[in-house]
Amino acid sequence: MSVEFLEWLQGTPLALYVGETWFPLVESLHVIAIAIVAGTIFLVDTRLLGLVSAKLPFTYVSDRLLPWTWGAFAASVLTGTLMFMGNAVSYYVNTPFRVKMLLLLLAGLNMLFFQLVTFRSVAAWDSTRPPAAARAAGLISITLWCGVIGFGRWIGFAS
Amino acid sequence: MTMQGVIDWLTATRLSQAIQTTSWAIPGIQVVHIVCLAILFALALSLSLRIAGRGLAMESLASLAGRFLPAMGICLAVLFVSGALLIIAEPFRTITNPIFYLKMGLLILAVAMTLWLAAVARRPAARPSAVHVAAAALSMLVWAGIIIAGRYIAYV
Repeated sequence: MSVEFLEWLQGTPLALYVGETWFPLVESLHVIAIAIVAGTIFLVDTRLLGLVSAKLPFTYVSDRLLPWTWGAFAASVLTGTLMFMGNAVSYYVNTPFRVKMLLLLLAGLNMLFFQLVTFRSVAAWDSTRPPAAARAAGLISITLWCGVIGFGRWIGFAS
Repeated sequence: MTMQGVIDWLTATRLSQAIQTTSWAIPGIQVVHIVCLAILFALALSLSLRIAGRGLAMESLASLAGRFLPAMGICLAVLFVSGALLIIAEPFRTITNPIFYLKMGLLILAVAMTLWLAAVARRPAARPSAVHVAAAALSMLVWAGIIIAGRYIAYV
């Protein structure tokens, strides 16, 4: 991304307005959105590990919870973008910010691999303990999302 | 002891000094606090949805409440300890901050509402009324208010 674009971004009226007036509220809404995203993902991941809600079919737990995850994810992207706009140049070079984005990407790839490969055999393990590949996906997901929260919080200490 | 006396005493404790002089300690404790609040919020949301007959409705309310309420209690305990450590580390940020007391007031309200809903939910064949559904929805707004107040402690 070019510095010119980032400078233009943080000079837009919306970015200035968020930066001066609404930053704490946008940040609070970001935390609420993240809580729903990570919290519901943890509930699905621990079901994959066979630790929580083991008596409910995996597909039932994921079908019922993941719409909340995606809705809150949209809200966290929106609030995150607003926060980024306010200080685009310094966030872009902020190491914890970059690590957080990388971990988000890895979490997405983990989910994609699970959906395209491991999930294909779900009929065989929907109501029992999921296979090693599914359990691994759950454990990797929990680890990555803790990392997203960790580096996300660190952004504010490093800038 | 005056407020300033409490702040000075806490700041001088060995625990406070240890946290203050360890660069990663405060962000580290905050991350534990945020991960736990995420779990607590998702559990509260699942329970509130179930009270409204939605979410994990395949399971009975009494059964879901029996699983999720103890987990919420554990989260609350970890939040309490991590929150207390943050106060001990930087008492000046919280002890004289009105937003902190607003947050604690909202927390008492959220816990009271949850305990009231828990008493209803734990009955076998529990059938929540419209009042319980409204209280469950309101409790989620209170939990959200606690998160907002928590973040505003840093700005007031």
